[in-house]
This record gives sequence, C-alpha cells and structure tokens, in this order.
Amino acid sequence: MTLITSPLALTLLLAVAAYWLAKRRAISAAKGDVRSLAALPTAYGTNAALSVVIPAFVGFILISLYSGLAPRAEDVAPLSKTWFILVPAVLGFVGAIALSTKDFRARTASERWILALLMGASGVAILTTIGIVFSMLFETFNFFSQYSWTDFFFSTKWSPNFRGDSDLGILPLLWGTLYISFIALLVAVPIGLFSAVYLSEYAGPRMRAFAKPAIEVLAGIPTIVYGLFALVTVGPLLRDYFAQPIGLGDSASSVLTAGLVMGVMLIPFVSSLSDDIINAVPQAMRDGSLGLGATKSETIRQVVVPAALPGIVGAILLAASRAIGETMIVVLGAGAAARLSLNPLEAMTTVTVKIVSQLTGDTDFSAPETLVAFALGLTLFVLTLGLNVLALIIVRRYREQYE
Amino acid sequence: MKDQAEMDNSMPTPSKISASGVQVYYGDNHAIKDVNVEIADKTVTAFIGPSGCGKSTFLRCINRMNDTIDVCRVEGDIRIDGEDIYDPKVDPVQLRAKVGMVFQKPNPFPKSIYDNVAYGPKIHGLARDKAELDEIVETALRRGAIWDEVKDRLDAPGTGLSGGQQQRLCIARAVATEPEVLLMDEPCSALDPIATAQVEELIDDLRQRFSVVIVTHSMQQAARVSQRTAFFHLGNLVEMDDTDKIFTNPRDPRTESYISGRIG
Repeated sequence: MTLITSPLALTLLLAVAAYWLAKRRAISAAKGDVRSLAALPTAYGTNAALSVVIPAFVGFILISLYSGLAPRAEDVAPLSKTWFILVPAVLGFVGAIALSTKDFRARTASERWILALLMGASGVAILTTIGIVFSMLFETFNFFSQYSWTDFFFSTKWSPNFRGDSDLGILPLLWGTLYISFIALLVAVPIGLFSAVYLSEYAGPRMRAFAKPAIEVLAGIPTIVYGLFALVTVGPLLRDYFAQPIGLGDSASSVLTAGLVMGVMLIPFVSSLSDDIINAVPQAMRDGSLGLGATKSETIRQVVVPAALPGIVGAILLAASRAIGETMIVVLGAGAAARLSLNPLEAMTTVTVKIVSQLTGDTDFSAPETLVAFALGLTLFVLTLGLNVLALIIVRRYREQYE
Repeated sequence: MKDQAEMDNSMPTPSKISASGVQVYYGDNHAIKDVNVEIADKTVTAFIGPSGCGKSTFLRCINRMNDTIDVCRVEGDIRIDGEDIYDPKVDPVQLRAKVGMVFQKPNPFPKSIYDNVAYGPKIHGLARDKAELDEIVETALRRGAIWDEVKDRLDAPGTGLSGGQQQRLCIARAVATEPEVLLMDEPCSALDPIATAQVEELIDDLRQRFSVVIVTHSMQQAARVSQRTAFFHLGNLVEMDDTDKIFTNPRDPRTESYISGRIG
C-alpha cells in the first residue's frame, strides 16, 4: 500500500513544484513585464501541474488495469507500478518547464489537458459498459457450447438440477419478467402521469414545494424495504381478499403482489421526469390554447401533454427498464417458482431472481447450471439496452424544438 | 377623464368594447390606473406607449387572459356589446372564444398546420363533419393570407414554417373560431420587415369582419394600420383619438414627446 501511495504523494509534490517553477520561469522570461507573455503566469503554472498529474494518472490506470487482468498478481513487480506513475509524471514535469517560454500559449495548452480529462471521464462509463458486455459474452459462449441455444430460448421448462439433465428454458422466466413489469407499469404510468400533471399544472407553489419532494422520497426507499412491504402486507392482503374468495389460488406471493409494489416504486420515476418535461413546455403553448377559448383540461390534454409526449415516453421506457431489472421485490413478492401462467395471483419468478439463485451457494463455474446465469444476464442486458435505445430514438425523433 | 368621454361620444360607430375605471394590480404593483376606453366595431385600434406602460396588460384584460396569472387582480368595468365580461356569470373560456388573441411570439402548437387551425373549431364544436371542418380551415387560412403557401402541406408540422408564416398561421388559428374581437399583442415584433408588411396588410383585411386591437412598439405601424390610437404611459391612458390626429396634432404634451421620440 505504501508503495502505491508514496508515488502518488510524490506526483502531487511534483505537480506543486511544477506549478511554481513554470510560473516563475514565465515571469522571468517576460523580464518582469507580465503583459508581454502569451498567457497569464498562473496559466503556465496550471499547465505544468496538469502536465504532471494527468500523465501520471493515466499511467496509474494502465498499470492497475494490467495487474487486474494479468494472470498472476506476482507478474507485476511492485517497482514497475512506481515507474508507471513516476516516469510519465517526470516527463510531463520536464516538458512543461521547458515549454514555459514567452511565446508558449499556456492557457490553450492547459485547456487541452482539461478537455482530455473530461473526455476521459465520459470514456470511463462507455468503456465499462463494453467491458461488462465482453465479460458476459465469454461466459455466455461457454454456456452455449454446453447447452443448445434453441433449448435455452424456446424451451418452456425451467428446472435446473445438478445431476446434469436440467431444463434451462428462458421462456417462463422471461414471461414472469414481462408480466410483472407490465403490471408494474399499469400501476405506475397512470398514477405517475396524473400526479405529474397535477403537480405541474394545478398545484400551487406551496403544494408543489411539499408534494414533489414527498413523492421523490419514494425513489429513495431501498427495494428490499418494498419487498418486505410486499411480503408482509400486500401479499397476504391480496391472498385473503382476492385470490381465495375468487378461487384463483392461495399463494401469498404472486405476480400481482410484486407488480403492484413495483408499480409504487416506479411512480416517482414516471412522475418526477414527466413533471420536469411538462414544465419545459413553454407557457406560450398554454397561452395560445387558452386564448382560443380552450379550457385548462383541454389545453393539457390536447396541447401540453402531446407536446411533452416524447419525453414522457422516454420516462416510461426508463421506468420499464428499471422494472425489468428489479430483483428484490420479486423475490419477496412473487416467489421463485418458474411458471408459464396467465393467472396473476399465482407465484412466478423473473430472470433476475434466477440469476441470483443460480449463482448463490456452492457453484461450479463449468456447469451449464451456473453458466446459464450469464446467458440470462446478457439477455436481460440486451432487452433493457433495446428499451433504452428505443427511448432515445423516440425522444430524439419527436422532440420539439422550442426556442 | 371627462373630456375623454366626450371625445369618445363623437365616434362614428357605437362601441364594441367599453371599459371604464379599469385598475389592474400585480401583487402590490398598480399596473393600470383608472383607464377608460371605448373601442369601435370594425376598426383597428392601436395601443402605443413605452415598455412597461401597461398596454399589453390592458389588452389581456379584454379576454381575461390575466386570470391565468395568480397575483393579477382586475377592478373596474369592461363591457363587450354591453355585457360585463367580469361578471361572475361569464365563463372566461367562452369569452376567449369570442375574443381571439395573437401573441408577440408566434406560438403554433407542435401539431400539423391543419390541426393548428382546426383546434379551435374542434373544441367549440363549430363543424358538424370533416368536410365542414376542411372548409373552416381553408377559409381561416385564406383569411390569414397563408393558404397559398401551405395548401399542399397541411399535414406538415406548424412549427416547421418560417417566423412570418408561423405568425400568419397563428392569426388564421385565431380567426378560425369566428371571434368578434381580435387582440394582437405586438404581432410583428419577432418578424422581419417583409413578414411585417404581410401581417399589416392582413390586419387591414381583418378589419372588414372584426374589431382589431393591436399593441405595438412601432409608431409607424400604428400609423399605418390603425384608425384609432390610444397612448399609454406609466399605467395611465394619456390620450385616445383618431390616429391621424394623434400623430399630427396630439393634445397632451406627453403624447407629443413620445411620438417625437423624446420619452420612451
């Protein structure tokens, strides 16, 4: 640990030194007349400091990645880690000091460093996504070399066992996922949309100041707490007052339980995003409609909501991908039985729950029963990615250009 | 204010809109102070005055658009055809169908050109079937002097038109509900000179059917399009008279200094 922290501390010291040295050098190159410089003296300092820190940071990332991917940790000598950080730092130090002459445009140079930093930051997110896909892809290939892909995608039976003759059909899981998500959206979309319309169009400023954060609190509740709510309250309630009297089953965990609770969880997503989008519709639209003798509700239904629709659809699709990826509420609310059934009061399960159950306990990473989790995960990833891309396309294509 | 009432009595046609003792408050701010105005039918009346003088505020009183602003309070008496429009029995929604409005910035809805114009007739149930609606839309677009430019692309979005076309579309949209009065709040301030000329020509045509009230910053525009002009200053109606008279021989020294460019 000290071996890694000390080069970092050294780099910081070097950066501070570079800042002062470059600044001094620039001032002395100007022979006291700071105005004759191509940039402010502090710009020389900033450029020099960044020239030390950023290359050192890049070196640190590279060596960390390498030692993470290397087959054995001992292959990377601790000393080479230090070198990977200090060599770029010293090179940057020397280069920046040497460049600090009168005509060097230090401000542009330091801004280029900052641009690189910003690009790097956005690159991290993209690279991580790609990394996730690749790590899943490898394991998924392993899985499909042991298990037929037609059985995986088209078999309607899910019954893994570790004796070797398991049925690993994704359809019952996918069905459960989509069924529960559908019910959740059936709850969340109308409620969320109506509350967004109320908040943005009808509520007074004081009501809004209270209600909006209150709804957003829902988004901060951990999903496991929602799951507990489903388990001890909603599930038994539905069983005692709906399922048993109607005769549709006597299970406390059901698709409906999980769907309803998940719907409540999604309300703040739909309402908060839609509220922001509805607020972004210019007042001129409302004035135009009211000026034609439309009532407030006609204005909202025929002008404001259609104008906000692309954004609202985006919000709904975002909520849908949350619903598809949700695990905890399903475990506690809908149970773990893979089943293809239309009855909403029966226990079912989803892809995410099965991923967890296939990877917990004693697992053997060469058996298809374990590797199937990666195929399931990749399918889920593709599904939500598709939804997000669809949301982006819709939002982009139908976005109105307001001035 | 007495001499003003006398002056208004001398007008040739009976008043379409008659306002007396109108006060408007935005919270604590007294925006309109005791304004009396008579506006004749089938004429163009221009409201001129420096920014913040209350002319737009007063315009918005005539179709009760100020009701949509929470802090705004209107007192006094505004009558259209003798009917008090601030009477509790009057539904502002129906009033606005009778008193159309065109805004400063063109604000077509994000719908097709056809639907923009058909919007008002649809919500007021003016058409019995599709053919009748088509006819209303065509008539309105012709009256908006934009039919020839858009007749081949009625399904295109209204927001895709140029600024001047958008404003004429908004005028057509306002005309489509067959209002009796048309209020225009600086309808040309976002337009280039060519589009302005087109809109001004249109305003002159509209006078055949409606009483038009136009707020404008441009005195030349007031002189070109209006028959009557009212000059507002600091929330007061300073002077109202025939346009020719206001621009050639104003009675109030404030009017004279404004039109000659000394205050504003």
